[in-house]
Amino acid sequence: MSVVKKKKRVSKKNKKAWGKYSDIRDVEEFLEDQRLEERLGKFDTKPDSELFVVDTGGDNEEVKVEDVKPLSRKLQKRAKLNEVPKCFEVLLPTSKVQDPNKKRNYVNPVGSKPSALSKLKEKRLAQKGVFEKKLAEAKKNRKLALDKKRKAKQVRQTFGMDLWGKDLPASKGIPETLVDEFISEEAQLHNVLPTQRLRPKPPLAKTVVTRAAVETPHPGVSYNPSYQEHQDLLQQVGKHEEKMMKKEAHLHRVTTGMFRRVTQAEKENQWREEMSSGLPQPHNPAEESESDTDNEYKAVNPPVKNKKKDHKTRRKQKERLLEKERLKREKIDKQKITDLYKLRKLQSSIKTREQKQAAERSKRAEKRATVEATALPTLSAHKTPVKEPDFVDPKQLSGDLRNIQANTNPLRERFESLQRRGALAASKIMMKKKRKLKSYYKAGHKVTEKDIQKYVTRNVGKK
Amino acid sequence: MVSKKKKKYSSGEGAQFMTRKAALKKLQLSLKDFRRICILKGIYPREPRNRKRAQKGAGGIKTLYHTKDIKFLLHEPIIWKLRELKVYQQKIRRARAMREYRNMKKYLRDYPDINIDHIVKERYPTFVDALRDLDDCLTLCFLFSTFPSLKKVPRDQSMLCRRLTVEFMHAVIAAKALRKVFVSIKGYYYQVELEGQTITWIVPHHFSFQPQNKDEVDFKIMSTFVEFYTMMLGFVNFKLYHSLNLVYPPKLTAAFTADDKELIDEHAYVAERIAAMNLSLARVEGSNEGEELPEIDIFNTEDDPQKLEEAKLEAEKIKKLKTMFKGLKFFINREVPREPLVFIIRCFGGEVSWDKDHFVGATFDESDESIAYHIVDRPTMDKQYLSRYYVQPQWVFDSVNARTLLPINNYLMGAVLPPHLSPFVDKTKDQVYIPPEERALNDPNFKPLDDDQSGSEIEEASDEDKEDEEEADSEEDGDAESALAKQYQQEVEEDSDSDEDEEGVDPEKKKLAKEKKKAMAVTAGVPHKEHPYQKEIEDKQAFRLREKLVRKKHRNLYKSMKAGQEKRKKEIWLLRKKRRLHDEKAKEEKKAEKRQKRQQALEQASA
Repeated sequence: MSVVKKKKRVSKKNKKAWGKYSDIRDVEEFLEDQRLEERLGKFDTKPDSELFVVDTGGDNEEVKVEDVKPLSRKLQKRAKLNEVPKCFEVLLPTSKVQDPNKKRNYVNPVGSKPSALSKLKEKRLAQKGVFEKKLAEAKKNRKLALDKKRKAKQVRQTFGMDLWGKDLPASKGIPETLVDEFISEEAQLHNVLPTQRLRPKPPLAKTVVTRAAVETPHPGVSYNPSYQEHQDLLQQVGKHEEKMMKKEAHLHRVTTGMFRRVTQAEKENQWREEMSSGLPQPHNPAEESESDTDNEYKAVNPPVKNKKKDHKTRRKQKERLLEKERLKREKIDKQKITDLYKLRKLQSSIKTREQKQAAERSKRAEKRATVEATALPTLSAHKTPVKEPDFVDPKQLSGDLRNIQANTNPLRERFESLQRRGALAASKIMMKKKRKLKSYYKAGHKVTEKDIQKYVTRNVGKK
Repeated sequence: MVSKKKKKYSSGEGAQFMTRKAALKKLQLSLKDFRRICILKGIYPREPRNRKRAQKGAGGIKTLYHTKDIKFLLHEPIIWKLRELKVYQQKIRRARAMREYRNMKKYLRDYPDINIDHIVKERYPTFVDALRDLDDCLTLCFLFSTFPSLKKVPRDQSMLCRRLTVEFMHAVIAAKALRKVFVSIKGYYYQVELEGQTITWIVPHHFSFQPQNKDEVDFKIMSTFVEFYTMMLGFVNFKLYHSLNLVYPPKLTAAFTADDKELIDEHAYVAERIAAMNLSLARVEGSNEGEELPEIDIFNTEDDPQKLEEAKLEAEKIKKLKTMFKGLKFFINREVPREPLVFIIRCFGGEVSWDKDHFVGATFDESDESIAYHIVDRPTMDKQYLSRYYVQPQWVFDSVNARTLLPINNYLMGAVLPPHLSPFVDKTKDQVYIPPEERALNDPNFKPLDDDQSGSEIEEASDEDKEDEEEADSEEDGDAESALAKQYQQEVEEDSDSDEDEEGVDPEKKKLAKEKKKAMAVTAGVPHKEHPYQKEIEDKQAFRLREKLVRKKHRNLYKSMKAGQEKRKKEIWLLRKKRRLHDEKAKEEKKAEKRQKRQQALEQASA
């Protein structure tokens, strides 16, 4: 029986105190055991023969002593040849723990790499036709692998899958236990694992969603339109063109037209004048005679004198001011009295004005709404192209299907439609300029006429 | 304590948006890859309410994206694929620069494909969503199917587009879903109705490919759009075929298999394409062909019985339209564009063929006697068969839009065609004046009031008296039956009277009995007669009462609507009246002229 010792109460407040007073021997023993196991291998996995020895000899039997002759020196040396030298024993692994990276430092054994000789031999054999079958097989295998790869690529184009078929809640990551119509969707989605939870896609822009991809055509663009519809279309196109012309005219007026035109001669004169300002003018007798009328100096702006007003003028001024003020006040008072009688009229005028304003406001709102519905999105610094009405030249209308001529580029129309819907930012394709390569002759390699002449003459001289 | 100062633009609109450059940095992608993934995932740039704030105070106009959109992209597994592809691209680039073309070819061959079917599912969670967004897809695919291989477009793309579009057309043919056609200068507008969704697309006229200006369209971007759309169209086709009990992929002609590397010239290609459309597809075994839509059940959920009636009428019309050409054989002459006609005729159950010497895929000969219509686009023909009608192609388009087989007399060979009207006109804007000619075009049942008169003008002028006689005759004819009935009744009455007379013995008793009888007799019930005028008045009163119940909020709107209606009605009435007066005047003048002529002739004869 172990006597239970009365434990002393000790504080195990911090880590140090904890380590000091707690009994960790069992833990350490366990860890020691584990380390041993790692080094020596597990007892469980070892065969019994390794752990135990069968005691064949009895207790009483004498141990036979074989007389073994000591080996000769020569034999001893031979026996030692098989042993690993003591100096290399350090390099051998002593631990039983397996090498986690077995492939480390793999060195090809000698002879695995084709040497020059073996290559020669192989070549000779191939010429003899020994390898032919092997080569053919290899070729076939390669082709098979390629075909397989190509087929895997083509799977993309077969579309052999019902994409919208398996719309099960389980495919969304909702646990099976919660798939029931009585369980709210929120509760179902709440239980989806975070790894399977999809970030919902934010809603698309309004323009992308609401605007039609293929707009219904104006009836006038028919290949054989009725007269009225065609005229209607022409009207529309004309109006559009007029608007554009007006805009252009405005731009011209505001920019180019704003500046005065100057002829070349005028420009030169101006330049001369400007450049020669401040320089001493050449003597001009005509000018001199005019200025000669009065010799006295006169400033352009004569000096101001501080002339004081006297008392009388000041009083008069004050009186005038007061009188003005009084009259104004009187007028206002009168107005007040008359306004009382005018009340009804005022009211009605206010009412009409308010009505007018309300109507205008609603009109403005309506206009704004219509503009907003068709406004082109500004998604980049470039301007989104405006939709131009399809113009059909009456000369082009032959009325039969054979002679239809298209004047629009359908791809461009698609492209611009995407831009108008806000699916693409308007852009301008910048064409890459082809770099001009400048070619040089290396100084020493230059061959001039002179060199040729020289060469020719030398050759002639030789002959 | 002073709280930490909030940084500017860390919340609100400044934090909501992100410039494209910032997005590129965040996603660690090149601009090219970013553009691609944006198109594939359907992420578009946004327009902010306040640009200055959204750009964090920077001036100018920058391309902005929602931060949430970019975060959404961040979760896409394809981004990793795009980054991995960079290695391949570098290898290819290097091989090209080193002129190791063998290696380059190998790398190009092994260039991995990105699988994007999960994106299709993500963008269109249901099949109907996908159908709803098919307009753009179809237009682009039909357009790309006419393209040769271009520099910035993958080689197999136009091929794939060709295949998918033909497959889709086959699905439309099998579903008999075509509703409207419009031939415009730009191309053919088609409208189909699939699963309750109307899909409209444009097929350009077949010209040979016109070279594009380099700086007009970014081919790379459009090709990326097409890459996504082909994926989508493929899956839509698969689903459509399965719902129609057809085998997918269908066995079309040889030109549509991808590994066929024979160089075929453009015309042969088009011919193959059309021939492929004239095939009938294999059905899934054990499925019955005739699947008819159930008739519309009548529920009184809708308040407006008129609407219900309209819907019923519409359904009936569509049912008729679906089998409009059933059992009819069409032969298309050489000069007529075949593709749209084959598609349309097959859509409504007709059989088509063409000159077998010129194009492949003809099913019957021109000499076949069972051909009902021969479609011609030339003024005369040398050899004509009596057993068929020679019509111009517009007859087919107009018949589809009118939803019945139109009378062919306006469309015969060499005739001046009536205008081809658009079926896409808004039906709600019906309060406009339509001249009687156009009304007759739209509605074959419509008969202008003076139609027969104008038709028999010549006869009428010659024998006016005869007409009067005829009228009298017709009156007599109409009255004959009623007269017979009257006679019969009179006879019966007389019989009964005579019976009573025979019985009568005591006049007083008789009188008494009569009085008693009168007291006892059940007076014959008077059937409740609905006074039409009275009813009209009542209806009007009820309508007015309902008008009174219009909410104050909507009253002005209602009033203005009513006023507009009245105005338009008046205008129409005025125009009709004008037309009538004009017509009458013209007729009278004509009559007068004729009379004068006759008189002159008589005078001449007498002289």
